[in-house]
Amino acid sequence: MSTGLVDNWLNLDTFGPVYPFVGTEGILAFVGIASWIVWHIWQIRKENAEFKEDIENINKQGGPGKVLDDEARRELKDKAG
Amino acid sequence: MDNELTALGIIFTEFYYWVTVVFMFLIHVGFCMYEVGASRYKNHTHTLMKNTMLIPLVTVTFFFFGWWIYFAFVNGPWIIGPLVDAPFATPWSELMGTHMGNAAIQDTLTVDDTAFWARINGVFWAAFLLFSWTAASIVSGAVIERIRPSAFWILAVVIGSFTWIIDASWGWSWNGWMVQKLGYHDAYASGVIHAIAGGFALGVLLILGPRIGKFAADGTPRNINPHNPWLVTIGLFLIYTGFWGFYVACNIPIIDVYGASMLDVADKTFFSATNIYLQPTTLSAITFNFLMSLSGGLMVAYIVSNGDAFWTYSGGLAGVIGASSGNDLYHPIQAMLIGGGGAFIAYKMHYWVENKFKIDDAVGAVAVHGYAGFYGVCMAGFMLWGYPSSPFEGYAPITPWGNFIGALIMFFVLGFFPALIVSKILHAFGMLRIPREIEMVGLDINHESLRTREAEEVAQAIRAEAGSGA
Repeated sequence: MSTGLVDNWLNLDTFGPVYPFVGTEGILAFVGIASWIVWHIWQIRKENAEFKEDIENINKQGGPGKVLDDEARRELKDKAG
Repeated sequence: MDNELTALGIIFTEFYYWVTVVFMFLIHVGFCMYEVGASRYKNHTHTLMKNTMLIPLVTVTFFFFGWWIYFAFVNGPWIIGPLVDAPFATPWSELMGTHMGNAAIQDTLTVDDTAFWARINGVFWAAFLLFSWTAASIVSGAVIERIRPSAFWILAVVIGSFTWIIDASWGWSWNGWMVQKLGYHDAYASGVIHAIAGGFALGVLLILGPRIGKFAADGTPRNINPHNPWLVTIGLFLIYTGFWGFYVACNIPIIDVYGASMLDVADKTFFSATNIYLQPTTLSAITFNFLMSLSGGLMVAYIVSNGDAFWTYSGGLAGVIGASSGNDLYHPIQAMLIGGGGAFIAYKMHYWVENKFKIDDAVGAVAVHGYAGFYGVCMAGFMLWGYPSSPFEGYAPITPWGNFIGALIMFFVLGFFPALIVSKILHAFGMLRIPREIEMVGLDINHESLRTREAEEVAQAIRAEAGSGA
């Protein structure tokens, strides 16, 4: 019993594919390609949500100008110790 | 493999390509260092992730369709002939998995397919794949600090697993239609990787636009200096190192040029390394020429940039790229002089295009790869004028016009225009550029705020532990 075509190494000189579940390559290709496309969709959604949240945070702090001013003040404070 | 000599030949070839892949990995490490060094602190994490995540995305898509395109598209298809069968390169082929090279299960495969591809397929695929990463990574540097990662990753797949491998199929394979009909010669990929990637980057930049603050209201460009010039230069040093693997991966290490599957000349045997067109060359020749063209580029770039470290290093790269098309055959001093020309053109063109067209190419990628690559292909057309483009009968010889048309195909047809079209579509859906507010405060705003909060929490805990009242 083996998940592949190999259950001993005695006839190595006749072996072709030695990975498990030979014959499922088409299904594997379909699953692989689908996973890739789903990844992009998932990532784009996540990125949109992240940017939305970032913009809300920036606006809550008074806009990009205020965020940059605060950052500059923090840096000066850090430098001053 | 039933005798030692055959086994040695096959396993040496397998190992040879594997080593090139390890070397070429350093190109990507270099690009990552370079980009992080060139970007501003507030964008570091996103810049690094943008370049890093192209690795898995281009890898899986190159497995799914890129590798098959290389073999299937040699005729265009439908430029000089139909699609070509490549059953060993489809994602469902048993030869795309662990295989001992004997009886095939799939009836589309021949005995010759399994014997040849069982051990070479993975390493050969990976050598091409690392070129794919490089092509996408070249584009990555040009667009830092304002492109959406999601858009970049779509564009990376377009160039890494689609357009560049079409150009390789056409002009960087022993039987590509550009080699057969135009006599196109580009042994170490001046056009096939660099011109296409430079053209692609330019197409994206045209739609993406410059970083906020790059140009004054009157259009005068401002320098956005790298936050860490040393990281940039060490990154470029690493790219040089990886380039050794790139050059070696462009060769076939050992083959009987007069053998039955080649020229088939009776009673003659001539074992040699060859370039991708199966024309004999030597590792010694390309070692000479790599170093001499690098030197020519460094020397010229140092002079024209007044010793600017960034441009001197970039000029070294432009030197190699400028000579790469013909570095299988050039004399080393020719390689040095041509390399110097590549650096000069890259530097001058970068600033001319920046001033004239207000293009913000953050790392000079279009110049170093695109313009120097275009120049390199054209130079090879002149320098190798009349040389056979292939060992096989009936192929066009190398000519200036054949290589010039080839350079146009690389830079514009497969680089610039596909990038322009895809970028335009992404832009139309609001998916190309990051929101303006975020660009101003930096892409890493969330990561940085979190890090600051965490650092403050730890500092407070330490102060409490120490009994400090502060």
